Amino acid sequence: MPEPLLEFRAVDTHYGDLHVLKAVDYRIEAGEIVCLLGGNASGKSTTMKTIMGVVAPTSGEVRYDGKPLAGISVAERVRRGIAPVLEARRLFPRMTVYENLEMGAFTRPRGPEFQEDLERVFALFPRVKERLDQLGGTLSGGEQQMVAIGRALMAHPKLLCMDEPSMGLAPIFVEQVFDIIQTINRQGTTVFMVEQNANMALQIAHRAYVLQTGQVVLSGAADELRRNPMIREAYLGEMKVA
Amino acid sequence: MTDLKAPTSDSGLAERAATAPAAAGLSLAGLARAAPLARIPPHLRSRGAALTMLLLAALFPILHPNDADIDAAANALTYASLALGLNIVVGMAGLLDLGYAAFFAIGAYAYGIAASWQVTPLWTGYWEPLQWLGLVARFHQAGGDVVHFQVSFWLMMPVAAIVAAFFGVLFGAPTLRLKGDYLAIVTLGFGEIVPIVVRNTPSLTNGAMGLNGVAAPQLFGWSFGIAATPYYYVGLLLVALLMVTSQRLKISRIGRAWMAIREDEIAAAAMGINRVRMKLLAFATGAAFAGATGTLFVAKLQTATPEMFMFPVSVMILVMVVFGGVGSVWGVVIGAMILQLLQSWLLQDLSGWLNALGRLIHSGWLSRIQLASSIELIFGLILVFMMLYRRDGLIPATRRQRALSLGEQHAQVGSGGIAALKGLGALDDSRDGPLLEIDNLTVRFGGLVALRSVSLAVRAHSVLAVIGPNGSGKSTLFNAVTGLVSTASGQVRFAGADITGRPPHVVLDRGIARTFQNLRLFPNLTVLENVLIGMHARLHTGAAGALLRLPRTRREEEAARERALEILSVFGNRLLPRVDHLVSSLSYANRRRVEIARALASQPKLLLLDEPTAGMNPAETLELAGQIKDLHRLGLTIVLIEHKLDVVTSLAERVIVLDHGERIAEGTPAEVRRDEEVIRAYLGRSAAVA
Amino acid sequence: MTIDPVLLQQIINGLSLGAMYSLLALGFTLVYGILELINFAHFNVFMVGSFVGMWALELFGLSGQSITLSGFTLVGVLLFAFAATMLVSGVLGVAIERLALRPLRNVSGPAAMITTIGVSYILFNVILLTVGAGSLNFPNPLPRMRWVVGGAVLELRSVLIWGVSLVLMLGLHLFVSHTRLGKAMRATAQDAEAARMMGVDVDRVVVTAFFLGSALAGAAALIFGLYYNFTSFLIGYTAGLRAFTAAVLGGIGSVTGAMLGGIIIGLVESLGGHFFEVRWADVIIFSILILVLVFAPSGLLGRATPSRS
Repeated sequence: MPEPLLEFRAVDTHYGDLHVLKAVDYRIEAGEIVCLLGGNASGKSTTMKTIMGVVAPTSGEVRYDGKPLAGISVAERVRRGIAPVLEARRLFPRMTVYENLEMGAFTRPRGPEFQEDLERVFALFPRVKERLDQLGGTLSGGEQQMVAIGRALMAHPKLLCMDEPSMGLAPIFVEQVFDIIQTINRQGTTVFMVEQNANMALQIAHRAYVLQTGQVVLSGAADELRRNPMIREAYLGEMKVA
Repeated sequence: MTDLKAPTSDSGLAERAATAPAAAGLSLAGLARAAPLARIPPHLRSRGAALTMLLLAALFPILHPNDADIDAAANALTYASLALGLNIVVGMAGLLDLGYAAFFAIGAYAYGIAASWQVTPLWTGYWEPLQWLGLVARFHQAGGDVVHFQVSFWLMMPVAAIVAAFFGVLFGAPTLRLKGDYLAIVTLGFGEIVPIVVRNTPSLTNGAMGLNGVAAPQLFGWSFGIAATPYYYVGLLLVALLMVTSQRLKISRIGRAWMAIREDEIAAAAMGINRVRMKLLAFATGAAFAGATGTLFVAKLQTATPEMFMFPVSVMILVMVVFGGVGSVWGVVIGAMILQLLQSWLLQDLSGWLNALGRLIHSGWLSRIQLASSIELIFGLILVFMMLYRRDGLIPATRRQRALSLGEQHAQVGSGGIAALKGLGALDDSRDGPLLEIDNLTVRFGGLVALRSVSLAVRAHSVLAVIGPNGSGKSTLFNAVTGLVSTASGQVRFAGADITGRPPHVVLDRGIARTFQNLRLFPNLTVLENVLIGMHARLHTGAAGALLRLPRTRREEEAARERALEILSVFGNRLLPRVDHLVSSLSYANRRRVEIARALASQPKLLLLDEPTAGMNPAETLELAGQIKDLHRLGLTIVLIEHKLDVVTSLAERVIVLDHGERIAEGTPAEVRRDEEVIRAYLGRSAAVA
Repeated sequence: MTIDPVLLQQIINGLSLGAMYSLLALGFTLVYGILELINFAHFNVFMVGSFVGMWALELFGLSGQSITLSGFTLVGVLLFAFAATMLVSGVLGVAIERLALRPLRNVSGPAAMITTIGVSYILFNVILLTVGAGSLNFPNPLPRMRWVVGGAVLELRSVLIWGVSLVLMLGLHLFVSHTRLGKAMRATAQDAEAARMMGVDVDRVVVTAFFLGSALAGAAALIFGLYYNFTSFLIGYTAGLRAFTAAVLGGIGSVTGAMLGGIIIGLVESLGGHFFEVRWADVIIFSILILVLVFAPSGLLGRATPSRS
C-alpha cells in the first residue's frame, strides 16, 4: 500500500506543562482535500505548526512523501512542497503585494517557473494583479486572503496547509475562497485545512478529522460526517438540521 | 566603582564559613512548618531562623573586631538595602529600572546638604524657629552671620526616604505607562540626568569635587565618628527593617497586585488593579528604600561625589538582584552580601595568594595581578551566566510543587459546595431596566471596523449568549465593555450608569468581571494567589496596613483566604488540592476554572465568560455548564461567548448573533436557529443547497 | 541672506557627528526591528571597534597625528582600515548573538536585555584591563586639507565622514530593499513567524542583522577616531546612548528614521553650544530621549508600536 502524502503517527506535543496533541494520527492522501474540525483550543493550530516544523512532536512521527520529517527545517519543508496559508492571513503589512508573493517563493530560484507560478496566481486572482504595488497592510480582508493564498501557491506546493481560510471574511468572500480551494485542488495540489465553518468545509472536503482537546474523536468521509449527529450537536454550522 | 575597601585578614574566612552551615541547618528546622504560600521557601519564613541570623550578624563585630572587615560588611549591608529596594521595583512589580542609583543619590545628597557646610545662607530671623528645633545653627562669621544646617541623621533618614519617593512619583507618573524595555531606557536616562545635574550645580552640591564634611550621626550626644562598627549596626537594622517591610508587602494585597502587574498587566487591570497607582507605589517604595540608604551611605563616608551614583552602580545593584533571585527577599540580600564581600574579601585574598605564587614561580604578571580591579568584569560574567543558566537566581522566588498523585487527582470529584457562595450578583432590585445596556457601539482598529453600531441589553439575573464565527467581533465586544479597547462611538451603561471608556479597574469595581478567550492568568503565581488577586477590589489593606499587620489586616487576609477556598470549591475537587500549585503547571481545563474562580472572587454582579468551555472535552464541558447554571441560579447575571451549541441552548435565555462586527440576529436559542441571516452567515451558500 | 559663520561651522560639525550617530543608531534599529531587543552590547562593540581601527592603522606604521598620507596610499590604507574594522566588529557582534543571546531567544521578559548589559560590561572591562584606563592617541593619516566656505572651515575629514556614511547608508538601503536576504530581514521584522513559515531562516536573518549593525558600529568607531583623534575604553557609553536616542527619536526599527535621528542628535549636540552651555548637552539629549518615549514612542518615522497581544 503506498504511503500517504502526509501522515501523523501517534504524535504528542507539549507547550511547557500543557499536553496539546495526544497520540494523534492523520493520513492525507495525495490529491485529497482533508478538513480538520474542532473548537478553539482543541489543537488545530498546533497541528499546522507541527506540520510546518515550528512545533516539534514530543513523541510519535510525522511523515511526508514517504520520509520522516523529524529534524527537517521549516525552509526545507517549504522546499519539499509544504506551504502554509496562515491563520488571519498574516501578510507582511509594509511590503508590497508583489514582495509578499516573492516571499512565498523565498526558497525557490527566480526563473521561468517563478513567472509561471505568478501567472497561475494572476489567473486565479485577477484582482491581485491590479494591486501589485500596494502595501499588504492596506488591502481589504478578502483581498488579503487572496494574496495569502497566492503567496502560498508561489512556493509551488504539493500540500497546501490552510489555517481557517474563512475566518473574518464576509460570506461572499467565504464562498469564493472555498471555490478557489477546490480549483487549486483540481489542479493537483493536496489541501489540508483547519476550519470552523464545518458545513462549508465538509461540502468541499473529501475526508475530515474532528479534534477535541487534542485527540482525534472522529474521522471519516466528509459526506458521512455531515450526517453524523455528533458533528451536528457540536457545531453551530448544523443548526438548521438540529 | 565606588568601593573603598582596605586590606583584609584571613580571619574573615572563619566567619564566612560559619554562616553557611547555619543557613543550611535552618532549612531542616523550618521544613516542618507548612507555608500558607508555596512561593516562600518554608525554611526562610521561619521567624526563629531569621532571628538567629540577625543574632549571628549582630555578634559579628564583637567576635571579629577588625575595623576593615566590619567596614566591608557595613558596605555590603548598604548594598543589600539597595538591592531590597530595587527588588520591589524589578522583582515584584516587574518594572525594569536601570537608573535606580539616582534615588540613592537623591537620598545621599539630601542628608549631605542638610548636615554639612555646603549651603550657608545669610542668617535672618526666619531661621529662628528652625534653630529652636535644632535643625540649623547660627554661625558667626565675618561679613554677617550664616545658617549652618545640622539636621539630625535620624530625622533625615525618613525625610530622605520621603524626598526620594517624591522624586520617584514625579518621574514615574508620566513614564510608568511605557512597556518594559522602553521604561528601562527612560529610567536609564533619568539615572544619567541626576548625576549630571549634581555635577553642574556646584553651589548646592560642590559639583564634581563632591560634598565634604558631612556630619557623622550622633546618638545621645555620642558621635559615630569614623569607626565602622556603629554604621554596621545601623546598616543591619536598616536591612532587617527593609526585609520585614518587603516580606510583609509581598504577602499582602499590595504585593499580590504588584506581582499581578508583573505577570500580565492587562489581566491585572481587568481584575480591578489600578495599574498606575500600584506601579507608582512600587516605584516610590523602591525609591524610598534607596533614599534612606543614601543617608547611611553618605553619613558613613562623610562625603559624596556624583561618580558614586552613575550607571555602573545601578547595574551593580541589578546584578545583585538577578544573582540573588529576582523577587526573592532573602535571595537579594544574600546575593548582595556575597557579591560585595566577594569584592572586598575574597578577591583581595585571592590576589594575595596569586601574587605569592607569582613570586614563587617568578612570574611578574602573576605577582602583580589585582583581581579586585576586575570586579566589574566578574559582574558582567555573573550577569550573563545567571541569565543563561540560572535565571531564577540563588534563591528562586517561586518553588514548584510536586504533581498530585493519581489517588489525589481522582479523589471525590464532585460538583462542590456552590450553595455556600453568598452575595453573588446581589443587586439593588428596586431599580428597573436592564443591568447592561449597549447602545450603537462602534469600535475601530485603524481602518478596520471591529464592531459596527452594536446594541444589546442584558436583563438582571439572566444569561445571554453571544455567538458568531471567529473574527466576528465577540471578544472585541467584551474588551469594549471592560475598557480594554477604546470605543469610537456609542455608549455602555451598567446598572444605569454610563461606563463608556472607563478604565478596566473601574469597570471591575462597578461589578463586571470577565474571563479571556486565550486565558490571561498569572502563570507564575499559585492558584490561591490568582484568586486572591481577583479579590483585590473588594479588599482594603493598603501599604500601611500591610506593614503594620494590624489585627484588622490579619482578619481581612484570613477571611479572604477562606472565601477564596469557598470559591474554588465551586469546582469540587478540581482545584482544592492544587491551591498552592503554580498556574503554569495546570491542565488547560483547570486553567479555565481558575480564571472563572478569579473572576468570581471580585463578587461581580455581571460575569462575562469568553468561551469558558474551549479546550474542554464533552464531560468537562457538561460539568462546567452545570456549574455555570448553578451560579446563575444563585443570582449572577452572565454574558457568555460560546461556540458549542448544546452549551448555548442549555444555558442561555437569549442569544445575540454577531457577524462582521454587526448584530445580525437576536432571540431565544430556538428563534435564532431559524433565522435566515444566521444560517447564511454560518452556512453561506449551503443554506440554499442543503 | 548670509548665515552666521559660527553657526555654519557648528552645522558642519553637527553633520559629521550626526553621520557617526546615524551609523551607530542603525545597529540598534536593525536588531530591535527584528528581535525587539535593546542591545546594550552595541555600545561597547563600537568602543572595541575604535581600538580595532586604531590597530589596523598602526599596522601601516601610523601613529599619532605626525604622519599623513595622500593619493592612492591614503585611499588604500583607509579602505583596508574600514574593511578590517567593520569585519572584526561584525564578527564580534555575531559572536555575541551566537554565544549569549541565541539561547535566550524564546525566553520572555528582560533576560536577553540584561544579558546584553552583562556582555557590554565584559567588553568594557576586558579593554580596560588589557589596554588600560588612559586615552590613546588615534592615528590620523588624513592630510590637513581645509576649505573656507562662507566663513566656516570645511576640513577633509568632514568630507570623508560624509562620503563614507553616505556610501554605507545607501548600501544598506539597497541591501534591505533589493536583495533576497534584505527582503527576508524586512519580512522577519514585520512578522517573524510568517517569515519563518515562508522558509526564511530566522537565525540567519538575526545573524545578518547583528553583523551589519556591528559592522556599521565599527565604521562609526573609525570615524570617531579620525574625528576626535583619540580613543579610550569610555567612549562607548556616551556615544552609544546618544546614538540610541537617535534611533528612538527617528522611530526605533526604522532604518531611515535612524539616519534622520542621528543627524538631529548630532546637530543638537553641536548647535547646543550656541544656545546653552555644553555641560548641559547630555541633559538635553536624555530629556529628548525621555520626552520622545513618553509622548511619541513611535518616533518621527517609526511605525506605531506593534499591539499584537
